[in-house]
This record gives sequence, structure tokens and C-alpha cells, in this order.
Amino acid sequence: MKKKRTRFIIIWIIVTLALLVGSFLAPSGSGEETVQVMMRDAVLHETNQISLFGIMTVNPGLISAITVTVILLVAAACIRIFVIPKFKYVPGKFQMMLEQVVGMFDNLAKTNSPWRNGFLGAYVFAAGAFIFVGTLFELFGLQAITTEGHSVTLPAPLSDVNGAIMLGVLSYCVIVSGAIAGNGIRGIGKALKEVSLLISMSFRLFGALLSGLLVTELVYYYISLSFVLPVIVGILFTLLHALIQSYVLTMLTALFYGEMSEPTPKKKKARHEKVAKASEI
Amino acid sequence: MNIPLNIDWQQILLHLFNFAILAGGLYLILYRPVKEFMKKREEYYQNVDKEAKKHRKEAEDLVHWYHAQLEHVDEELEQKRAKAQKEMDQMREQQIEETRKQAHAILAQAKEAAQHEHDVMIQQTKKELTDMVVTAAEKITLKDQGDPYEQFLSIAEREVPDGQNK
Repeated sequence: MKKKRTRFIIIWIIVTLALLVGSFLAPSGSGEETVQVMMRDAVLHETNQISLFGIMTVNPGLISAITVTVILLVAAACIRIFVIPKFKYVPGKFQMMLEQVVGMFDNLAKTNSPWRNGFLGAYVFAAGAFIFVGTLFELFGLQAITTEGHSVTLPAPLSDVNGAIMLGVLSYCVIVSGAIAGNGIRGIGKALKEVSLLISMSFRLFGALLSGLLVTELVYYYISLSFVLPVIVGILFTLLHALIQSYVLTMLTALFYGEMSEPTPKKKKARHEKVAKASEI
Repeated sequence: MNIPLNIDWQQILLHLFNFAILAGGLYLILYRPVKEFMKKREEYYQNVDKEAKKHRKEAEDLVHWYHAQLEHVDEELEQKRAKAQKEMDQMREQQIEETRKQAHAILAQAKEAAQHEHDVMIQQTKKELTDMVVTAAEKITLKDQGDPYEQFLSIAEREVPDGQNK
């Protein structure tokens, strides 16, 4: 047992050292663009754009979003075909995990919006899955070729401002729909009071994921920072991001949806109240 | 119009289209089936729980019923005993009545048989006496030599030894 452990440690150290030497000897591409250009492009996507099936050029974030969607749908289809038909009343580990995830979003919707929660549960489930998997997606470092012929790593879908705006606006629209469903036309007025959610939700997502992306880009730009530090900055922070951002957006959406869709009792007119008071006296 | 941060409405709509497909797909393929299964299981266990509660209530009711029965068992036994006694008395009365009727019938039948036998015997005796008188009269009439009284006696004397001899 002790021998095995010693052998593992020796092999691990040798592999690590080999990788370290290899990384120093391999040709570096860091001289191609300055860190300012690279970071500016990470925010604005002015130069590194990708062709979408030859129809138009889009930001890499949209390609990431499509890839994440395909991955999620294929995984869901596999689960639907191979796992769900074998579900048992006493669940196994994987079934328990699935039920836990679905139950978590369902409960989030039910506890925050006891009045209407069928649609909300489905929405927060999809949004949560998209943010979580989309954020983790950048860890895999899938490459795509830009229109200029460079290779870029596909970023998290929501580090693209367009993706973040889409999810923020959509969440706000869901909240408005809840307000209308719960209170009719009066609900619109109620929802408009919280119009700042449009910007706060969109840019919270964008800011959080972009900052992660920028820090990661920055760390990897300099070879001296590319050892040990990425374990914390790249992986642990990304994992935390994935959890925190999916929780924050889904929780906020559910919370505001519940608040807006809560039926408010109709206010009696002042005149009626006066008449009622007079009759009481 | 040049929008800051390179915001592109077309790409926002493409993101929206992409997310709509994802949300719809996930809802149909994953969220709804899992939720339906969970609901089904919940209903199953609720039914099991309901059945168990129902059975438990039935058992409790039965226990209460038995307790109540045990409390009233002496009274009930007394009632049953009285009822049985009453039934037995009735049966006995009925049997005695039937026996009495049978005895009356037997007695009447015996009386009738005795009367019939008596009548038959009287009839037979009368017939024998008549025959005897007729025979004697015939003999007297046919053998009218000498004193009738003497003839009768001699005939009688003759017939008696004959009968004895026989």
C-alpha cells in the first residue's frame, strides 16, 4: 500500500515536471497581441468574430451558447431515453441527483411564488442549467477559428454582453408576465416600478462572468502566472461563479416573480370608505 | 445607431432563439418527466399512507368494539341464558302437551278396543246360549217318549258323560 502511494507520487512529480519543461519549451503565442488588445476584444469582440454556418459573423459567446445548448439537449435526451424509464421508487445515486436538481428549482419556484409556479419552475430550471453549464463550459477550452483565421478559446456564453442582456431581459419579461397573470393590467404598473431589474440582472451576469474571463485571460497571458495560480483562478473561481450566478439569477427571478404575481386586494374608493365609516359610527 | 459595448440586437435575438430551444427542450425532455415521476411516487406513498391510516383506524375501531363487547359480555350472557331458559320451558311445555294428547288418544283407542271386544264376547255368548237352548229343545221335541222331564234329565245325563269323556 505504502509502495503504491510512493510510486504514484513519483510518477505524478515526473509528469508535472515534464509538463512544466514542455510549457517553457513550446512556442508561445503571447507576442501576437498586447494584453490591452486582448482584454478589449474579450469585452467588445470587435476583431475575433466567428462565422455562424457561413450566414453571418457572430461573437464567440453565441457559438458557446449554441454548443452548450446542444450539449445540454443531447445529455437530456440520453437521460430521457436511458435513465428515466428505469426510475425506481427507491432511487439510486444518479436518479437522486436528478430529482434533487429538479426538486430544488421546483421548490425555489413554489416557495417564492406560491400563487403561480408551474411556468416559473421550468424557466428557472432552464436558466439555472444554462448559466451553470455555460460557466463551466469555459473550463474545457474548446477552440474555434475566427474569421481572421486565429484560434480562440470559446468563452462562457454569458460573458458575451448580448447573451447576458438576453437572459436579463428575458428574466424581467418573465417577471412582468407573472405580474400580469397575477394582477392583470395593474400588474404592469407594479412591474414597471422594478424596471431597474432589466439593467441590474443583465449587467450583473455580464460583469460577473466577464470579470472571471478577464482575470483568466490575464493570468494565462503571462507565462509566469500560468502555474498553480490557474488552479485557483481558473477552476475554483469558475466553479464558484457557476454556482453563485445560477443561484443569484434564478433566486432573484423567482423572488420578484412571486412578489409581482401576488394578488393584491382591490382598494376601495375613499368615498366608499367614508360611507362605511359613517355607517359604523 | 452605434450602441456602446458592441451590443447587437440581432445577436441578442439569436441568443434568445437559442435559449428558447434550450428551455423548451429541457422542459419537455427532462424537467416534466422527472417531475411527473416524483409526483407519481408522492401520490403512491400518499395512497399507501392513507391505506395504512384507514387500516389502523379500522383496527382501533375493532379494538374499541371488542372492549365494549367485553364490558357487556356478562349482561349479554345473562340475557342469553334467560332466553335459552325461556325457549327450553316453551319446548318442555310443548312436549308435555303433545304427550298428553298422545295419552288421550291411546286411552280412547284402548277404550274403544275394549268395548269392541266386550261387544264381541257378549254377542258370542248369546249366540252359544241360543244354540244350546235350541239344541236342547230339538232333542226334547224329537224324543218325546216318557216323562219330558225324565227324558230331559236322561238326555242331559247322557250328554254330560259324553262331554266329560271327550
